[in-house]
Amino acid sequence: MSPAEEAALVRRLAAGDGEAFALVWRRHNAAMVRVATGILGNRASAEEVAQDSWIAVMRAIGDFRGDCSLAGWIFTILVNTARNRAAREGRMVSFEETDGPDGLADAFDGRGRWRRMPALWEELTPERIVAGRSVLAHVEAAIAALPPGQRAVIVLRAQVGLEAREVCEILGISEGNMRVMLHRARLAVRAALERIA
Amino acid sequence: MLSCREVAARASALIDGELGLAQRLRMRLHLAMCRGCARFVAQLRLATALIALAGGEEPGQDPSRLAAILDRLGHPEGGDGT
Repeated sequence: MSPAEEAALVRRLAAGDGEAFALVWRRHNAAMVRVATGILGNRASAEEVAQDSWIAVMRAIGDFRGDCSLAGWIFTILVNTARNRAAREGRMVSFEETDGPDGLADAFDGRGRWRRMPALWEELTPERIVAGRSVLAHVEAAIAALPPGQRAVIVLRAQVGLEAREVCEILGISEGNMRVMLHRARLAVRAALERIA
Repeated sequence: MLSCREVAARASALIDGELGLAQRLRMRLHLAMCRGCARFVAQLRLATALIALAGGEEPGQDPSRLAAILDRLGHPEGGDGT
């Protein structure tokens, strides 16, 4: 969406245009529920948080000044709403990830070479991926099993397509940390695919 | 020359185009000679593409949820600053 298109959309939202709202809702609601599920740990609370966030978005849309993208603004509200709810339920959610396994800890020998060569994924063709939902379902399950930070980074950066800077601001993490989490999340998805390839 | 472990650690940066020229060339050199790493990077590229695809569609988005929000917006409850 160009800045001009986005500004027009924001004006329609501010004017209470239901069609514009439905458009934005369809575009972002599923991703909002995914991020909130990662933060809250259950889908039902996440659905409620997403709905509350939409209410907050629509009530504050008149104050949106375009300092960030509309999506970035919406997800800022979503993440804050989800974090507040988690805090009320006595859970502290931190997205920062310093150390942790990256899934490749045992993959290399002492000289840094592959212990076991990665296989050629002959069965995992684009045709098979397009033909059945099973491969994507595996990917979705692998993403759902990620720690909250990695999951949020994956959805915001790789799926919603927010700028790296926006993702870092929303989650309160450094850009270096975001890249580490993105890499780890991809490794986890790769490992899940390896099991079915 | 980079080790396979180092190539794997930099694979996302390569895919995302974040490596400088020298680093990129060192990666390319290794990948040209190492089948394992070439396969690994191809696998990570596929994982990256599938992650984006997985977010592209969400069957079962319940339209009644949209209606519920519109309903709440139309009948603002008091006390929350509207």
